[in-house]
Amino acid sequence: MTLLDAGGVATGGAAPAPPRRRHTARWIAGVVLVAGAGLVALLATRPPQAATEVDTPLVGQQAPAIDGPTLSGGSFDLAALRGRWVVVNFFASWCPPCQQEEPDLVAFAFAHRAPTAAALVGVVFNDTAGSARAFMRSEGATWPAVVDGGGQIALAYGVVGPPETFIIAPDGRVVVHLDGPVTASSLDGWLARARQGST
Amino acid sequence: MSRVGAPSLRTGLWVVLVVMVGVALGVGASRGSGPTDPRQQADALDAVLRCPSCDGISVAQSSASTAQAIRQAVLARARAGQSDGRIESYLESRYGPGILLRPPVAGATAWVWVAPPVALAAGAGALAVVFWRRRRRRLPDVTDEERRLVEAALRDRSPVPGTPPAPVPS
Repeated sequence: MTLLDAGGVATGGAAPAPPRRRHTARWIAGVVLVAGAGLVALLATRPPQAATEVDTPLVGQQAPAIDGPTLSGGSFDLAALRGRWVVVNFFASWCPPCQQEEPDLVAFAFAHRAPTAAALVGVVFNDTAGSARAFMRSEGATWPAVVDGGGQIALAYGVVGPPETFIIAPDGRVVVHLDGPVTASSLDGWLARARQGST
Repeated sequence: MSRVGAPSLRTGLWVVLVVMVGVALGVGASRGSGPTDPRQQADALDAVLRCPSCDGISVAQSSASTAQAIRQAVLARARAGQSDGRIESYLESRYGPGILLRPPVAGATAWVWVAPPVALAAGAGALAVVFWRRRRRRLPDVTDEERRLVEAALRDRSPVPGTPPAPVPS
């Protein structure tokens, strides 16, 4: 077969292709549209964020010191709470999950208002004292919140972004590290589990 | 023109190249084993620490609050005379090994360090084998008579039969 023959065979029987291409484009557009609509539906209907336990190097270690001025003008020292269960919550007024969890923290603090019950303490994460104070006041939060100048307390706890919550055992060890917004019931559950684990 | 000396010259060049690469790697590995100035030490460390709240950039490159806090802590510890290893292990004890942009040599990430030299050695070995085989295969193909013919042809610059004439520049 000569080159001319080959050329004749190759071009002679070819049918026009444009209609097929148009269909392909329509199919691709349809698939993209359906995928986009599915993604929107998934994001719109997914449940709100919940706290998850994270296994960080600090768990099982002595809790780093939390010592400094509070938003209300007083001072706080974590060491003074040795012998009690302590819940340390890193928060910021600008963080939506922190806003989501705040009513639950208020409920938790109220349920544990007895002097020997678990104590709740906040640590301001990358926020101004004024904004953090206004945020706590608007939510009715009355527990001490420590001002973390320079973010050194957050660094000592390995906090990446708020909200993050730590449960500290009466002997001063960090036993639970939670990432994300907590609820009053989930916090009670983690606390009960930590109590069981420490006995 | 005789090409008797060419293989030994080529071998010599290869040896020189290997020695140069070895010296360069050795110098590179031994250099920068600890700036004495705390600011320089902190800057060097910031460049190899991962910003924990960012996406794959170093503490030195980030303006995030976590990165700023880490920069402060690193500088304070460098000024206190702490070694790179001690500062790194402190941050690892807070954020885990992921805080280091340079993966640790031990454990699951060890292959990151082991794989490149192994691949380099395997590649060099494979190349050496290929060259050696090619040379062995080629040597018997060219006789002295053929070599003389080629050299004579090159000297005369006569066109090889069957090749098209060189294009005339316009």
